[in-house]
Amino acid sequence: MTIQQQSPVLSVEGLIKDYPGVRAVDDVSFSIESSSVHCLVGENGAGKSTLIKMLTGALQPTQGVMKVNGVVYQPNSTQDARESGIATLFQELHVVDELSVLENLTLGMEQNRFGFIIKSDLEDRVIQTLATIEPSINPSARVSSLSVAQKQIIEIARAASSGANVIIMDEPTAALSEREVERLFTVIRRLREQQVTVVYISHKLDEILTLGDSVTVLRDGKHIVTKPLSEVAGRSELIDMMIGRSVFQNYTARTAVTNEVVLSAKGLSNRLLKDVSFDINKGEIVGFYGLVGAGKTEIARALFGADKVSGSIVFKGQQVGSSPKEAIAAGIALVPEERRTQGLFTNLTIRENIPVMNIRRMSDNGIFRSADELTAAVNYVEKLGIATDSIEKHTEKLSGGNQQKVVLAKCLFSDADLLLLDEPTRGVDVGAKTEIYDIIKNLADAGNSVALFSSELEEVLGICDRIFLLYCGSLKSVIINGPNVDTTDILNVVTGGNKGVTQ
Amino acid sequence: MFKPNTLDHSSTTVASQVVPFLRNYYIYFVLIAIIVFLSAANLDRFDLFERGNFLYEKNIINILRVSAPILVLAGAFTLLMVSGYIDLSVGSTMGLSAVIYAMLAINGMPFWSAFAITALCGALLGAFNGLLVVRFKITPVIATLITLSLFKGIALLLVQDGVSAIKSMGDLKMPLWFNAYGREGVLMGLPMAFWVAVGVTIVLIVLQNRSLLGKYAAATGGNPTAAKLSGINTSMVVFVLYAIVGVSAALAGIARASFMSLGDPLSGDGMELTAILVVLIGGTAFSGGEGKVLRSFIGALIIMTLTLGMLTLVPAYFQTLVIGAVLLAAAASNHFISRKEHAS
Repeated sequence: MTIQQQSPVLSVEGLIKDYPGVRAVDDVSFSIESSSVHCLVGENGAGKSTLIKMLTGALQPTQGVMKVNGVVYQPNSTQDARESGIATLFQELHVVDELSVLENLTLGMEQNRFGFIIKSDLEDRVIQTLATIEPSINPSARVSSLSVAQKQIIEIARAASSGANVIIMDEPTAALSEREVERLFTVIRRLREQQVTVVYISHKLDEILTLGDSVTVLRDGKHIVTKPLSEVAGRSELIDMMIGRSVFQNYTARTAVTNEVVLSAKGLSNRLLKDVSFDINKGEIVGFYGLVGAGKTEIARALFGADKVSGSIVFKGQQVGSSPKEAIAAGIALVPEERRTQGLFTNLTIRENIPVMNIRRMSDNGIFRSADELTAAVNYVEKLGIATDSIEKHTEKLSGGNQQKVVLAKCLFSDADLLLLDEPTRGVDVGAKTEIYDIIKNLADAGNSVALFSSELEEVLGICDRIFLLYCGSLKSVIINGPNVDTTDILNVVTGGNKGVTQ
Repeated sequence: MFKPNTLDHSSTTVASQVVPFLRNYYIYFVLIAIIVFLSAANLDRFDLFERGNFLYEKNIINILRVSAPILVLAGAFTLLMVSGYIDLSVGSTMGLSAVIYAMLAINGMPFWSAFAITALCGALLGAFNGLLVVRFKITPVIATLITLSLFKGIALLLVQDGVSAIKSMGDLKMPLWFNAYGREGVLMGLPMAFWVAVGVTIVLIVLQNRSLLGKYAAATGGNPTAAKLSGINTSMVVFVLYAIVGVSAALAGIARASFMSLGDPLSGDGMELTAILVVLIGGTAFSGGEGKVLRSFIGALIIMTLTLGMLTLVPAYFQTLVIGAVLLAAAASNHFISRKEHAS
């Protein structure tokens, strides 16, 4: 590459984007050095997505200039952006499952004569690029046989071999396990060695601290700071810059916890789970903590009756676990892991989503009372602080945090006594997280029980009364939350360490 | 702890070898099985086939020349479905083409000119479908339902005089060469219509495996967004595929008209269902991305052999049911195979 190391590969000057009534990006200026990993952080609504959309040509700025290698850059489409050397790795995967790895890598770049594909050095080139960043992937494999992480690497390899010198990655680790994240980081570091600049967007501050060279913080559409990460004093400073208040919640013992057992699970076993037994008390918030693949989702789905397991689940003296319908009737609600695909009807409005789990309650002999629906929707929007201008808004247009609140409202409306929350704050910004935690605590204080399934230690330590530690499908240990909890011990247990914690 | 794992692993490797094999070749076994079954059955009581032996040359020729229309259509229809789109108007395109072809022939146009002009008309009709879908963004099913009606309406209008099909116009009579294309053996006792179907299929197989169009059709059907982000003009891909389907439907119309010696506007009725059936039997995914031209060709042979073979075995009112049952079995085994594949 002949680019001078000193000149910024990408810069924006006085960038403004107005939507009707809102200024999403407000006079943002910063520049990105070549061959670096540049992180972009900010709460949801801080203007990150809008900024990225302008860089990739999906949106045009109202005012301001973008420059690539010092030259003014005005993309009108992703295609334009790519021709200027800027490729984007979106949250959704854009690979063709039905084609082979090689066919995907060359897609859109094939050499042809009269419309027929001819052999060229392109194939060798892309195979070599793939081999440098991830040698374990076979170029002739069908993409459908690859894991999500591998598919992502295919997209990165395609971007790299199409000559992109800037790759924008929007939350690339959202669907990856810890080990896959490590591998992705290795790939990103290799890209940096090849003089590729990576713009990295993530909610996970630890990733940014591990991986980034420099960071740009946005808040409410405004540029707060751009500086090398070596000058940032850890995550607390990042968080301060993002929101100006501390998010880390300190657990305080709750008084609403009783000794009355509402749910008792004995000997749950299936493909992954190995003889898992536990009790959940009334008014209690219990946490299930473990790494990806430890069995958290499996336990949640088993309790809800969505998957078959052996063993017994007794809820308020009644056998449950054979179907979701039975669980709902008994008073168990599940907030699933994937809210967009499993938790919400994204093409329906907020009003229509809230009563779906309990539609019978608002019907007379099958005739639906829409006035009640309206009341319930208005009620919950207010109660949970769902930020929207109308209850008639389609849920697909809400931010992640607000979508999650709608899912919560849906479950609350079903009058569940036990709420199963599977990764309730995944992809949710820090501000909304705090609000969701408050909702959970209020619920438990009102005498409901909550089971929180999470892979964020900070989260379970922040709000759970008891924490069950899982490793490879077994329940390894139970700890009672309090000021004396030793996080090193917890991490030791969930990563397979032998030394247990007091029962 | 590792034992069950290794066991599991070895069983999936066996499955991962057998399953793709089954997936690739099961359709040939099905065709062979049907032929063997029909050959073994006692056909003596019936006139349609030469007595005693299903595999008699004349029977095969019979089946193949009746099958020419669907054989010529199946490949293009497959490519369109691979791209994730569908054309329900193929039957009407066929009927309209049959009428146009018959009119041109009756008015004294020589074979090749009539043939070329009709094929061109087919391309235009297909392109019109493509235009509705890619330019006016009408859902494929709705767009081609509209043209199903439109094209058939035009064909009926052309015939006009109240008779159901064109055999003559005023004093002008059908030329003597008219039914040679669909009936008269030119090579191995098989008519031109069949060989054109074979030729078209070969061209489409090459297109699918070697050309940008083939690859882009799969990409468009597999992941439209990915295709667009890769700089592929998916609208153009879909438009061209509709035009190709139009040409194929016109060739099917010519074959049918020639075989029946008349230009019947309704001669393609129900063809869209046969085409979908044949393509699905061939293993093409209804959702797009997946599918092979050659397998649809075999699928067409299976359906036609079954339909015509069945004529000899069961009463007419039974056939549809039996065909439905066989299709159900095929669909079930296909589902089973692909589920195994996903599991492995």
